[in-house]
Amino acid sequence: MGNKSNREPILSVENLKIEFHDHASPETAVEDFDLELFPGEIVGFVGESGSGKSLSAMAIAGLLNRKSLTKSGRIMFQGKELLTCSRSVLRTFQGDEISMIFQEPNTSLNPVKKIGWQIEESLRIHHLDVSPAKRKERAVKMLADVGMYNPEKIYEMYPHELSGGMRQRVMIAAAMIGNPQILIADEPTTALDVTVQAQIVELLRKINREKGTAIIFISHDLSLVRQLCSRVLVMQKGKVVESGDTEQIFNSPKNSYTKELIAAIPVVDIANDTEYIDEFKYSEDVLKVKDLNVYYRNHKTGLFSKSNRQQILKSVSLSMKKGEILGLVGESGSGKSTLAKTIVGINKDFEGTIQKTDDYPQMIFQDPYGSLNPGRSVRWILRESLRADRKKKWTEEEIDKRMKDVLTQVELPLEYLDRMPSQLSGGQRQRVSIALSLMQRPDILIADEPVSALDVTIQAQILKLLEHLHEKLGISILFISHDLRVVYHLCDHVAIMKKGKIVEFGQTRDIYKNPQADYTKELLQSAGIVDLGI
Amino acid sequence: MKYILKKTLMMLITLIVVSMLVFLAFNIIPGDPAARRLGTEATPQQLAALRKEMGLTDPLFVRYIRWATGFIHGDLGQSYSYGSVSKLLIDKIPITISMALMAFLIMVVVSIPLGIFTARHQGSVVDHVLLVVDQVVMAIPPFFSGILLTLIFGLTFRLFVPGSFVSWKTDMRGFISYLIFPAIAVALPKIAMSVKLLRGSVIEEMRKDYTRTAYSRGNTVRGVLYLHVLKNALIPVITFMGMALADMVSGSIVIEQVFSIPGLGRMLLVSINNRDYPVVQAIIMGVAILVMIVNWMVDIIYRIIDPRIESL
Repeated sequence: MGNKSNREPILSVENLKIEFHDHASPETAVEDFDLELFPGEIVGFVGESGSGKSLSAMAIAGLLNRKSLTKSGRIMFQGKELLTCSRSVLRTFQGDEISMIFQEPNTSLNPVKKIGWQIEESLRIHHLDVSPAKRKERAVKMLADVGMYNPEKIYEMYPHELSGGMRQRVMIAAAMIGNPQILIADEPTTALDVTVQAQIVELLRKINREKGTAIIFISHDLSLVRQLCSRVLVMQKGKVVESGDTEQIFNSPKNSYTKELIAAIPVVDIANDTEYIDEFKYSEDVLKVKDLNVYYRNHKTGLFSKSNRQQILKSVSLSMKKGEILGLVGESGSGKSTLAKTIVGINKDFEGTIQKTDDYPQMIFQDPYGSLNPGRSVRWILRESLRADRKKKWTEEEIDKRMKDVLTQVELPLEYLDRMPSQLSGGQRQRVSIALSLMQRPDILIADEPVSALDVTIQAQILKLLEHLHEKLGISILFISHDLRVVYHLCDHVAIMKKGKIVEFGQTRDIYKNPQADYTKELLQSAGIVDLGI
Repeated sequence: MKYILKKTLMMLITLIVVSMLVFLAFNIIPGDPAARRLGTEATPQQLAALRKEMGLTDPLFVRYIRWATGFIHGDLGQSYSYGSVSKLLIDKIPITISMALMAFLIMVVVSIPLGIFTARHQGSVVDHVLLVVDQVVMAIPPFFSGILLTLIFGLTFRLFVPGSFVSWKTDMRGFISYLIFPAIAVALPKIAMSVKLLRGSVIEEMRKDYTRTAYSRGNTVRGVLYLHVLKNALIPVITFMGMALADMVSGSIVIEQVFSIPGLGRMLLVSINNRDYPVVQAIIMGVAILVMIVNWMVDIIYRIIDPRIESL
């Protein structure tokens, strides 16, 4: 930081404190937050949900206006104090000098306004002298700058006509049109696929390099932060627990929480991995899918619309051995979940064969908040699965014993039986989901992105639990994920899917070391696991 | 364009189905038009002859086609007591439609600003008071508010003379100033409902992510509200207003009685009392057509406001 001491920071935050007054006693959301942002640098805010990283950034962007919230401290920008100034003063900076992009590109754009109109907004508000024709010219150029092929056409389009990645590019174009000094990016890639993620990060880096915009990059993905940021602030429970040079923090973290966060990142070191997989320990197939074609029928929406049958999976073949964890990797829309649903038996419209030793494989879903009935206790939820058991009739005592066994297996205390899902944290809920899937003693478990909605440290715990259960109970798990690092650690075999086809299937280590399909190479490259120079 | 074509086609098909149902219903109702015309002293031979002449012996479908083509050409049949139905209704239709349109206009002009106002001042004293008033107004049926309006504006302030309806042909201003009060009576509960709907819709939209984006670009609260939120918030309200307009046409039946306006609604009641089925049939068909046209317009406006509606 020595070379920065002689430069003036463009933004300095001192002693920021944010309190919520929704309940009887105030809750502190952010405390003792300090930051000096220098021209042209990229600073990362890292932490788990609820750590206050987004709130701090929103305070800087002037977007915390709730009445039930108090702020104190100082945010200095261009000689003005942003925290206490009036809205009319704050407004002059917003979108012009300080811009922001958000996590959800799908909902952050106004659905009923044209893209062009939305991009030009900052100019319309802050630069009345720019003529409409000139505005359009700049907007179109901006669209081209963020990598859109057809800027003139996109200008006239509406948000719903674009993909998630394109919408995020539009958001960036709209944020950058006024040439701001500071761009705040709040988890800008979290909702996007891996390859798109990499493109957005690359775009941010290009903006920083070419326009010298200082960027505050908020993320829970430490490997992304390490790729992009020169400086990092690690936050936990509203406080900055460690800050400094990125490489320094990643190589020698001092704070115990930072250490925990870094340890939770699965390291993929292909070159030095010498683990040997004994193919003979896997003998029997528990699941064999051959030449599977799956179709999806669009329901008719009107009297005259035709119902069309779309093919989602195209001649998919794979097999899972007894007692293994098989990884299934692909981006959203690649057909991973369709495959899972077809194996479980929810999708009935298919051709090809599915052989499985267990007629009723169980599933664990991505969102532990939505997949448990909020109006029922854990006891009721667990019991329900046995009521529906088609293999066997259960007596009351048996059910009771089974519930207790299963809860112990997922390492939850027995008194949790009487809790409601709303009383549990995300990680605990996912444990309940896992317990639920174990109730009927399945041979096959299908885990559809079971950790994607969880924080990094919780992710690590749930993955450990899955691995442990797999070893102890000998269950075969089909593990669906978009996280290539996790798959590397968990799975001996992996299938890579793209657009309804399996492009590569084999031993994980072989594939990571020597990917054959172009798509696999692109995925590994985007995730920063290998550098193939593409 | 394809969307409009599709919606138009949809409307025409619905129209045909509705007309068939209406025709069928009036054929099932007991009563012989020929017997009605000839009275009780007719001989069976006379009856049979007239029935043949009136085409009542033809198959149902042939009679439907004859009725429908007549309808398209403006021939709505013969009333049992007044002669041509078309001539009978031609003077009534503009009255009812003017009143419904006035009620609709009053609803739009009053409820949109009021809905935005209550949403912006959510939680304030004014908001609370308006919400209570809203709730009360919503519960008052138009015939009752009609009586109150007559009492207050007609008898006390003498802004109009109850019962002295003037035709637009003789006095346009008198016509409008007389109709404005029944229009208000019809509009009141609808105003209350759409204020409540718009308030909720605006508040909901204000919480959405895109408003945060709008603020981050430097918009004023006013800018966010009028440039971003309003168009989104109006989407559910437009559906309601369309239904309300259709409802106002049919709601005229009662209110025309209260204000003694010689419109379609009054005609309908009189004809039902006289069992003058051809007139009833024509009015019901007319109201059905109006409702369908309104729905069709709502669909088109929807498409203009919300680009997400697929132009399949």
